[in-house]
Amino acid sequence: MSGGWRKALIVLRKECIDNLRDRRTMISSFSIAALGPLLFVVLMGFVLNNALGESEEALELTVTGGEHAPALIDFLSRNHTELDLKAIDDPEQAVRNGDESLVLRIPDNYAERFSAGRPIALDLIYDSSNFGASNSTFRRARGLLSQYAGTLGSLRLAMRGVDPAVVQPLSVQQVDVSSPAERALMLMSTLPYLLILAVFMGGFYLAIDTTAGERENKSLESLLIQPVSRRALVLGKMGATGIFGMLVLLLFLIVFAFSVPFIPFHKVGMRLDFGALEGLKVFAVCLPLIVLAAGLLTLVASYAKSYKEAQTYLSLLILIPTMPVIVTQFLDLERTWWLMMIPSQSQATLVTQIIAREPIEPLHVALSATVTLLVGALFAWLAIRLYSRERILG
Amino acid sequence: MIEVTSLRKHFGSVEAVRDVSFSAPDGEITALLGPNGAGKSTTFRMLSTVIEADAGQALIDGVDVAADPLEVRRRLAVLPHDAGIYARLTARENVRYFGELHGLDRATIDTRLSGLIERLDMGEFCDRRTAGFSQGQRVKVALARALIHDPRNIILDEPTNGLDVMATRGLREIIRDLKAEGRCVLFSSHIMQEVTNLCDTLVVIDEGIVKFRGSLDAFRTQTGEDDLEEAFIALTTLGQS
Repeated sequence: MSGGWRKALIVLRKECIDNLRDRRTMISSFSIAALGPLLFVVLMGFVLNNALGESEEALELTVTGGEHAPALIDFLSRNHTELDLKAIDDPEQAVRNGDESLVLRIPDNYAERFSAGRPIALDLIYDSSNFGASNSTFRRARGLLSQYAGTLGSLRLAMRGVDPAVVQPLSVQQVDVSSPAERALMLMSTLPYLLILAVFMGGFYLAIDTTAGERENKSLESLLIQPVSRRALVLGKMGATGIFGMLVLLLFLIVFAFSVPFIPFHKVGMRLDFGALEGLKVFAVCLPLIVLAAGLLTLVASYAKSYKEAQTYLSLLILIPTMPVIVTQFLDLERTWWLMMIPSQSQATLVTQIIAREPIEPLHVALSATVTLLVGALFAWLAIRLYSRERILG
Repeated sequence: MIEVTSLRKHFGSVEAVRDVSFSAPDGEITALLGPNGAGKSTTFRMLSTVIEADAGQALIDGVDVAADPLEVRRRLAVLPHDAGIYARLTARENVRYFGELHGLDRATIDTRLSGLIERLDMGEFCDRRTAGFSQGQRVKVALARALIHDPRNIILDEPTNGLDVMATRGLREIIRDLKAEGRCVLFSSHIMQEVTNLCDTLVVIDEGIVKFRGSLDAFRTQTGEDDLEEAFIALTTLGQS
């Protein structure tokens, strides 16, 4: 090993040890690795469970005055509802208090008006400010009641010798193409975004601490006086930033692999196998991006005049690599070779393919790695140039 | 041995150093005395190779600073003005890091480290992380760090800044020791008193120009003043306002 590389390693080791002892770096680096996958699992679980709730679970409905309309109660109970028949004096207050989430009030004069063939006012009491299940159950209850009213109306017309179709000029059917599985898949597509964010967040504070931080600490001049080339210095610092990015990505993937079994994919008939092999593939595909991230973070943090300025720049900067991922999601682009020319986008595409277990073209992987590494090398070269200027001392 | 000939350096429109020449021989203490902003730190930074001179020449043991900066760095110990150390590393780790950057092997670093710890009286705090160290302790760590590669030439930029009386006295002892070992010691100050009981050769610098160069006795003779501080003020722009 030549002297330059050995010295770069010395710098790298020192920066790693130094930052492993810094609580701020550790918290910011590793919180996204630990919390990112967990947040993802919770969200996925929520989407899948919620989607299933609409179709499979019985509609819970409290009915007051049910004794006045036995035929309606019979219809409801035959239509996948769980009825709670009880007399409530003030249903509005009960819903407002949160004692009940949805109450159907049947008036005393139901039977009387029914026999007379006159309209009957039913009250469906709910709280629209109560998010979650309440609004969807309200829609289901209203749907059921309209269905019952429609059947009654048709029967009455038929008895009078009128074709019920006459009063139904339109027949609207709801067709929701978004199955729970598709919604889950859409959420899955945010995973690469999270991964790329983790790669950049991993080295975030390290890049600042080793460059702008070292200058603010006034130890930079002493360091520059050592018989070490600027290239070795910058590469050592970049390397430390890259190592943290790598550790964070690795931890992210491990936590993710362990969280996947807790996502209720089986409920929508889907399977997601994410084991050691997939994890390694994702890691390998993202490695060039770590180099690019380390280069970019180091370059911009070196350019900043102070720790705070570097923090501001980098906070804005880490949004950039996630941009292509967000944009192309809306454009629905084909996975062609030129997509592999865009760093971060190419990794996101490949990661999606790995997770979906689609075949991956080796040429795509090679192209993605080459372009990303070249851009990373350009950033590194610029950072070395920056360190070779006298103004680096500030 | 440090030899400086007609150094010049400007930053934008500011002429920081216009014409500085002097030489600091081995086994002697040379003081660079001047008011704030006189060009002392800029001169030192040119010697320590972190900035390049516009004109002139600087030789460390005969090695040209501009031609072979890495070799110059090996022959030079520099304590920059207000030097910072790494707060999350122990004093020992701080020094060891620089030893490694100089390419020294572990055994050499350990031997020199224990020597420096004893000489600078760092035993009490050498294995503590340096966050919260006193200024005196910080200067000692920075000095040990600068000396770990056992260089012949030592440059100290206002080393006593922020030190109390006892720490200053201790540092003076160390500087005398370095001289006794035959090293070339070059230090800067803006306080006359500090210079008088330490240096062999005095270089007075002001507005980037050398105003006087020679022994303290010569300085007294030339200025005709008994009070050295008055003489210093009269010689520089400090006396013109």
